[in-house]
Amino acid sequence: MPRPLRTASTSSPTGRFWLAAGIAAALALGAAGAPASDVRSAPMLANTCAGCHGTDGASAGDYMPTIGGLAKGYLFEVMSDYKTGLRPSTIMGRIMRGYSDQEIWAIADFYASRPWVSTDRIGEAAAVHVGEQIHEQQCATCHEDGGRAQDDDSPRLAGQWSEYTLYALENCREQGKRCSPRKMGLRVMDLSDEELTSLADYYESQK
Amino acid sequence: MTDLTRRRFLSASAALAAAGLGLPMIGRAAPKARVVVVGGGYAGAIAAKYLQRTAPEIRVTLIEKSPYYVSCPLSNEVLSGERDLDSLTFDYRGLTRRGINVMQDEIVEVDPAQHFVRGAGGNRYNYDRLVIAPGVDYRWDAIDGMTEAAAEVVPHAWKAGPQTELLRRQLEAMDDGGVFIIVAPPNPFRCPPGPYERAAQVAHYFKVHKPKSKILLLDAKDAFSKQALFQAGWKAHYGDMIEWVPGAAGGIVEGIDPDSRTLIGQVDDYPGDVVNLIPHQRAGKLAQVAGLADDSGWCPVDPRSFESTIHPDIHVIGDACIAGAMPKSGYAANSQGKVCAAAIAAALNGDPLPAPSYVNTCYSLIAPDHGISVAGVYELNDGAIVGVPDSGGVSPADADARTRAIEAKFARSWFSNITADMFT
Repeated sequence: MPRPLRTASTSSPTGRFWLAAGIAAALALGAAGAPASDVRSAPMLANTCAGCHGTDGASAGDYMPTIGGLAKGYLFEVMSDYKTGLRPSTIMGRIMRGYSDQEIWAIADFYASRPWVSTDRIGEAAAVHVGEQIHEQQCATCHEDGGRAQDDDSPRLAGQWSEYTLYALENCREQGKRCSPRKMGLRVMDLSDEELTSLADYYESQK
Repeated sequence: MTDLTRRRFLSASAALAAAGLGLPMIGRAAPKARVVVVGGGYAGAIAAKYLQRTAPEIRVTLIEKSPYYVSCPLSNEVLSGERDLDSLTFDYRGLTRRGINVMQDEIVEVDPAQHFVRGAGGNRYNYDRLVIAPGVDYRWDAIDGMTEAAAEVVPHAWKAGPQTELLRRQLEAMDDGGVFIIVAPPNPFRCPPGPYERAAQVAHYFKVHKPKSKILLLDAKDAFSKQALFQAGWKAHYGDMIEWVPGAAGGIVEGIDPDSRTLIGQVDDYPGDVVNLIPHQRAGKLAQVAGLADDSGWCPVDPRSFESTIHPDIHVIGDACIAGAMPKSGYAANSQGKVCAAAIAAALNGDPLPAPSYVNTCYSLIAPDHGISVAGVYELNDGAIVGVPDSGGVSPADADARTRAIEAKFARSWFSNITADMFT
């Protein structure tokens, strides 16, 4: 089967934007053009993720993030960073290296169009309160509205599994200034285990 | 359009037609096509659900002989005492709520020419397309003395349920200092890392409760899935408790005396205190009965649709089919079920078959806080399912303890999600 373009993902945000824009344009043309039975559709590609991330990306497992309903640009960037190794992972790098950038864009588009489903858990009040204070001091400028707001750079955190959020925060703390984005590394590098746990509990409790 | 509004629309149309306004009479809405799925496991349940989601106008019937499903993945943790079978047991109410017609019946006959299947009680189910996901069957003739009856003494525990509980009870009753023997089958077989995860899980139980005991793994093969990771993990957690005997070093078992629990190898005999003989395997019984398997014992299919190359309009998915580079795993079955559902929906709509995408992700637990994984991303290439170059592979050999621990957490969340994908 002839594969769509498999270009090396550029790591500069600007380059990534133009790459994404080019892919979006290519997809739009493809949709109106000849039958493309050799191009794998977005649902075909994306449904393979559901075995770990849940149907439509609504996760039923506490260490697996819900991905349905996140911003398209954010999903594309994270998956691309897994592919290049810029973002550390146990298994996602191995999986994302199996897809072209065009396919990653299609997967991002699919999950961005799914509804966000928050967990139905609420954290313990004292921890949530500590987490809220850290959020206001360190995180709220990017993760607005208690982590409910999102854009291509800042994922929704409200209603996300706290186990996963904690894991992501720990990874960022371990990377420190090498964390992407760097400003987040700088903000979490001095937080204690307990503070990170409180922060994750706070976000999960925001629905 | 909901049923209610459709009924309203139909009655309005009928009234208009009756009033002689010249509108064509619309008949009672019949399903566009009937698809019957036989087997409600990792492959069949997914095919039914995703077909219903993709093409709700198709009447999907899922026929399963049991009212419950017990997952094989994670059932090795029942042997270690880390979990019970209830935590692995699911029912089909979620699929019923989705509008899938779930029937409890054992299909014993397939008529490819007349397009129907028949249940043990005589019920006949007509289909336009049939999906069968029968799992595996055992080759009782491969090892002398090993019979279905003998499995009540030397359990295989390769389908989760009473066999798993029987093996657990035997392990609990074994004296400290005893020898537990696992006989691993030749390729291909269900769950390639399973016997080696099982050795680790039983060692986890022995380490605390029967530390002088030994585990002997007699293998028909000279290599196995995630081998280096398993061997390093066994040593790190359990020292020399687990001994693996490859086929070339005398691991091939040719016979068994179930009463004395003695295995007859090509070179030596091995007496055990508890014996777990995992039989040689082939496609599930219904595939054999329906003539869907070839000389290998497995079912050849078109990898784009999983349609049988022997009988048209019958699709075979999961462990029973021959799927190129994909292993016989739960995740592979899930992925195949989705490709098959998309292909059937396209075929029934008269559309070209979609280009397929397949994935496998499989975790094994060496200890409660030590998980390892293998992943594979596959594509169709010259009519064969092949791994995408430079992707997939196993967990790194030099991963730290934190990585092993998080992979164990991921294993459990994997289970939560893949079963929710099947049953909700």
